[in-house]
Amino acid sequence: MTSVIILPSVRLGLRHSLPIVSGYMPVAVAFGVIATQAGLSPLAATLVSTLMYSGASQFLFIALLANGASPWLAAALALLINLRHIVYGPSLAAELPCHPRLRWLAHGLTDEVFALASAGLTRQPWAQRIDWLTGVALGAWSSWVAGTLIGSLAGEWLTSHWPLLAQVLPFALPALFLVLIAPRFGSKRWSTALTIAAIAGALFAAFDLPNLGLPLAALCGALAYWRLS
Amino acid sequence: MTTEVAIALLIVASGTFLMRAVPLHWMQRHLSRRSEQSAPPPAWLGLSGPLLIAALLGVSSVPSPPSAAAWGAVAVGLTVTALVWWRYRALGIPILAGVLSYGVVIWLAAALV
Repeated sequence: MTSVIILPSVRLGLRHSLPIVSGYMPVAVAFGVIATQAGLSPLAATLVSTLMYSGASQFLFIALLANGASPWLAAALALLINLRHIVYGPSLAAELPCHPRLRWLAHGLTDEVFALASAGLTRQPWAQRIDWLTGVALGAWSSWVAGTLIGSLAGEWLTSHWPLLAQVLPFALPALFLVLIAPRFGSKRWSTALTIAAIAGALFAAFDLPNLGLPLAALCGALAYWRLS
Repeated sequence: MTTEVAIALLIVASGTFLMRAVPLHWMQRHLSRRSEQSAPPPAWLGLSGPLLIAALLGVSSVPSPPSAAAWGAVAVGLTVTALVWWRYRALGIPILAGVLSYGVVIWLAAALV
């Protein structure tokens, strides 16, 4: 009989991914519902989540296709939304040992996984960081794929029976982001920069510019940080 | 799924993967060359992570659709999360408390309307 041995650091990463999982599940279920309503089979919807694995651009891609837009236009706009991911890798590079698995782990570098890794990698021993990140990325990715499959098969039944749950669980994501930056609020310089970045991010999102607003909001925080030096 | 849609999906999937993988790989090579020359990593690397998380916090806190009740729930949820983090300095309990308090406000607002 064969048994699967999961390394303790991978298990720890899986456990640390639970806040992301609770935030992803309802959104992935909603994506599954929308994708099947747009005419995709449950298999095709799950394939989109497996390969594209990027919430905002997936919703945009499917919405444009459902409205009769050209697939090439939908692809171009989806890629444009994902441009923000370019800054995540360089930001984490110094905290990660060079490892062949990193090439594949980069597929799992979403906003939320980046945020958790950015704050959590330094707390892991150097030799176990790749395994820990594997656990985090695997937990988040599998919940996104499983949520899409569930949503495309039984999403409408689920959301009609537990509407409050679908509304409340996504709040795990802002709560996670707050907990990740909370230790920095001991310094006045960091507090000011982080508060400015968060307020700028909220303003950009309120004006319907969340993707462009993300790097710009971080830049506002950086300017405040350097101004206070 | 038509062939055109399948090809468009593959283009977005590979483009997104390259946007995530190539800069990471490039920066690791750049840093290993710098460490051979004993140069410290650039200062912006340590700054960008927390600031991007703060920006993500701002973006993800805006309720959709916005309403007074939803904004109230966000304010209560974030306050409770911060207070519980202050008490326990842990990852899971503050998030659980924040989500529960957010849910209570949403539920109360729906019950009162």
